[in-house]
Formats: sequence, structure tokens, C-alpha cells
Amino acid sequence: MRFSDTMLGTVLLFLGAAIAVYARTLPAVPGQQYGAAAFPTLIGLAMVACALVLFAKGWQQGRVALVTRTEWTRQPGALLAVFVTVLCVIAYIFLARPVGFVPVSFAILLVLFRLLSVSWGKAIFFAVAATLVTDYVFRSLLLVPLPFGVMPRLPW
Amino acid sequence: MDAILQAFGLVFTWQVLTTVTAAALFGLLVGAVPGLTATMATALLVPLTFFMDPIPAVGAMVTCAAMAIFAGDIPGALLRMPGTPASAAYTNEAYAMTRKGEAETALGACVLFSAIGGLFGTIVLIFAAPALAEFALNFSSQEYFWMAMLGLTCATFIGAASPVKGMVSLLIGLLVATVGLKNASGVPRFTFGSTDLMAGIDFIPAMIGLFAVSEVMRTMAAGAPSWDNVQVRVGNIFRDWGGMLTRYWRQQIRGNVTGTAIGILPGAGADVAAYVSYAVSRRFSRTPEKYGTGHVEGIVEATSSNNASLSSAWVPALVFGIPGDTITAIVIGVLYVKGLNPGPTLFLFNPQTIYAVFLIFILANLLMIPLGWMVIKLARGLLRTPRSILMPIILVFCIVGAFASNNAAYGIVIMLVFGLLGFFMEENDIPIAPCILGIVIGPILEHNFITTMIKSDGSLLTFVNRPIAAVLAVALALIWVSVIYTTFRGRRAGST
Repeated sequence: MRFSDTMLGTVLLFLGAAIAVYARTLPAVPGQQYGAAAFPTLIGLAMVACALVLFAKGWQQGRVALVTRTEWTRQPGALLAVFVTVLCVIAYIFLARPVGFVPVSFAILLVLFRLLSVSWGKAIFFAVAATLVTDYVFRSLLLVPLPFGVMPRLPW
Repeated sequence: MDAILQAFGLVFTWQVLTTVTAAALFGLLVGAVPGLTATMATALLVPLTFFMDPIPAVGAMVTCAAMAIFAGDIPGALLRMPGTPASAAYTNEAYAMTRKGEAETALGACVLFSAIGGLFGTIVLIFAAPALAEFALNFSSQEYFWMAMLGLTCATFIGAASPVKGMVSLLIGLLVATVGLKNASGVPRFTFGSTDLMAGIDFIPAMIGLFAVSEVMRTMAAGAPSWDNVQVRVGNIFRDWGGMLTRYWRQQIRGNVTGTAIGILPGAGADVAAYVSYAVSRRFSRTPEKYGTGHVEGIVEATSSNNASLSSAWVPALVFGIPGDTITAIVIGVLYVKGLNPGPTLFLFNPQTIYAVFLIFILANLLMIPLGWMVIKLARGLLRTPRSILMPIILVFCIVGAFASNNAAYGIVIMLVFGLLGFFMEENDIPIAPCILGIVIGPILEHNFITTMIKSDGSLLTFVNRPIAAVLAVALALIWVSVIYTTFRGRRAGST
């Protein structure tokens, strides 16, 4: 998804204005000219300035579609692959704690391998191996408390 | 002299040498995994150092950090994923070289100039430490403000085909940096009632997202084709070392000096040094148009710089107990635990310990060449693995790495959001590097601006009425003028 300069400018204009307006609500430090609001206000104004430059550029370009689909999105399965990848991360965020790192990681790897048409045998092998190695390195060597969930602790 | 001999005795024992080698390998492996930073490697070593004597403990941290900063270049060159933020400045450049089939030249330059840069920083640390630290101590919030401005200005030069889009990226980064409670007045900003956001947006997951997750998404979208046009073999990395040394001696020395100077400044570390040096190199290059297309010149300067800054960051740390970067901040804690309280007295009462630390610095940078060569040889395996196998595994690594930064799922949320942001930015040719720099330098800039304003009661003149600040301000103004001049001239040349 590619935004034209005008479209990008519009988004920035609204974002910058929203930031500047929000910054007005931040409390000032008594007796000081510059407080918590100073920087966000500056950032908001600078974004508006960038938006104006982008508008000028867009105006020079003439009529261009506001949003164009990039080349890769036309390939079959490309959008699906991105959606599934994002869904896998979301699934990890919600499922890792109740279910545990090992099963969720295995499932994510299997789904993604199959999506990239890795053969079943290889997919299962690498999903198991990568999950166990990651679990060993991070939980046992680096002492990262990966969630157990329903899984018993592995023997390391 | 007696102290130096004693220092040799302290360092050349089996215990110290084994510890240093083990720490070196650990640093190389952690640094080579995208998303795991040199700071993280150092932090992970801390629990282990509790069981060690002072010299091996400090030696392990020195070696580990130096190796991790170098090793960050390896995945940067081979996979376009910087292993540590310090490699981010020239990741695109190194990857472009790999695509051109020059991976060995890129990695060879990284090993060689990392080692030389580290040695240069060490020499400065040894000889000029007290005087230079004293100079940096003269800095007040005004000077830090200008340094931060300098860093941000340089950020707009890095890989910015369009200055406006570079600016947009920078503003996104600055905006991200304002989230949370960490501002001079302690007001929660952009937290929208979330407790997690109060602590601000953690840098490590954000970087994993921007660099790694967005790359995984892109590869997944393309169906993970095998590495076409990318050379699978990394040949002889020692090739052309003599040539690079003679051709780029100016860049190398400039990188060493810049890196050392930035390292000495409290708060500015290897990543800022690399960004500044890369931008400086591009500015002064005879062939700036080659930058970004796989040209080794900028890599030479930036990789010298980040390792030089790593060593020189120890100057204020050892002499005054002020950390030069995040790594030395961790190390200072260990020094106290080991009874080596940093400060001028350390040089008076325990000179042999200080000399021993210096020796380990030299040793670590010499070890970098054989061990670095070994790890580069091993890293070839990464490219032999098909991407359809590698990418899902990298995604799991990213998830675990983002989780490990805070041991909370919040890190993974940040990673995902920034992954999508990075994906969108890349689609629209908005460079990512200025955003990263905005996140790192934004808080320094704001803090010093507000502090200065509080001190001066709102008078902006105070930013230029101190000598060092005035010099920095003039330098910055000159850079801006030269940028505007070149843009204007470029546009006129383009229109005629």
C-alpha cells in the first residue's frame, strides 16, 4: 500500500494537529515557560510543516491516485502471508501465557513453514527442533522466564 | 613500571584468559543474533561475574561488549538485520555489498576496522583519559542539547533520498520518545491510561520490530524465495585489507577520532557514533552518490567509529564514575560490587588493576580478528539455510527477544506495532534510520532543552553564551547551511 504525497501529507496534517492539540492539555510547570507540552507541540507543528511541503510536492505532481497497491500485493497469496504472520504474533501474545511457549511456538512455526510450502516432514522436524533449542537457550542459558502454560518443564 | 609488570601478571593467568575467550564467544554469538544487543549481552553476563575475581569479571564484560558490537555487523551484512543498534547505520550499505557479491570485502572491513577502531579508542583511554574526561565534564545541558541536535541533524543525512521523508521519519521517532513519564516535569504523555505506556516505549522491541519483523513480513509476502543474486559463499575476508588500509586511511582516522570523541561524552554511545560517522563520511566523500549502493567507504568509517567509542566510553566511567553509554552503565555497577570504586583514586591506589583492564582491552581487540573470522565462517550456514526455513524461526526469535527485554508480553505488542510501522514506512520510501535515532536522542534533546530553560528562566540566549556551546552551535549552523546549499544547487542543476 503506497500513499501519494498528498495522502501522506493529509495523514501527517491530522496527526500533527492532533498531537499539538493534545499537548495543550498537558499541565504546565508553574513559573516555567517550557514544560511537558513544549516538545510534543514542536513535533506536532513540525509534522504540519512536513505535511505542507508534501502537499506542495503533490500539487507539482498533478493528479495521482491517493493510494496505490504496490506490485507485491497482486501476487497470489502475498497479502494472506502478511496477515497470517501478523495473526501468528497476535496469537502468541494471547495464547503464550495460558498454553505455554513450547506448544504455541511449535504451532506458529508449523503454520508459517506450511505457508511457505515447506514439506510436512521438514516442517515438523524444524518446528520441533527450533522450539526446543530456543526454549533451552532462552529459558535455561539466558534465564528468560518463558511462559510454561500447560506444558510441564522440559528436563533442562 | 612496576604496576605494568604486575598488570601483566594479573592478566596472563589461565583463569583470566579462559574467561575472556569464553566471554568473547558469547559476545559474538549474542551480537550476531538480530535483536539481541551488546547491552543485553553485557547485562546477561552480570550474574556470572558475581562468581569471578575482579579482573576476569571486568575483562569478561569488556571483551563481550567489543565482540558483540562487531558481531552485529554480520547479520547486518548477510540478512539486512543489524545484530545491535550500533550496526544499524550502515546495515543497508553492507547488505547492498552482499547483494553485489562483495560480502567478504564488507565483513573483512568490519573485522579489520572494528579491531583498529577499538585499539585506537583504547590508546586514547590509556593516555588521554583524565584530561579528556575533564573536558567533557565542562559540558552542561546547553552543550548536550547541541550534541543531540548534531546527532539528529546527521540523522536526516543518512540514506535520505528525500529530506522531507527523512524528517517525517525523525518526527515519528521523536514522537515515540515522548511517550511515558520520563520527562523533566514527570507528566504522563500519550499514555491514554495504560500503565505499560507509562514507562515509555522500550527501544529494543521497537528496533526488533522496525528492522526484523518488517523484513520477515516482506519476505513472507514474497513467498520467501531463495537468496537470488546473493552470494552464498563468503570468501577470503582478508582480501584487499592492504588496499582498504591505504585507500581509506583518512576515513579510518576520522572514524576513530569521531567515535572516540562521541564515546567520551556521557550518554552518547556506539550507535550514535556509527550514525554520525556514516553521515560525516558521506558528506566529505568524493563519491557520495555511491553511498547506499554497496560502497565500503562509509562502512570503514562507521565501523571504526562504533568500536572506538566503545573503548573510549570507559574514560568518564573509570575516571569519574559517569557512564559513557548503556554498557559502561552496567559495568560501573560491577566495579562497585568488586570493590573497584571508579574515580581518580582508582588510578592512585590500584594502578595495576587499571593497567590490567587496559591490557584486556588490547587483548580483546586483537582476539577479534581470529574469532571474528571464525564466526563469519560459521555465519555462512545462515545463508545456506533456505529462507522458507529461516524466516519463521527468526520470527520466533524476535518474539522471544522482544519478550526478554522486559519479560512481559508488552514487548511483543511493541514489536508487532513497530513491525507494521516499519513495513508501511518501507513501502512509502520513508527511511527507518532517522526514526531510530529520534527514539534514542529525543529524550536527551528534550531533557537538556528543558533543563537549560529552567536554569536560564526561559532565555534562549543561554544556548550560545558559553564557549563550547557556541562552537557547537556554529558547527551545527554550518552543517545546515551546507545541506541547504547542496539541496538548492542540486535542484537548480536538476531544473536546468
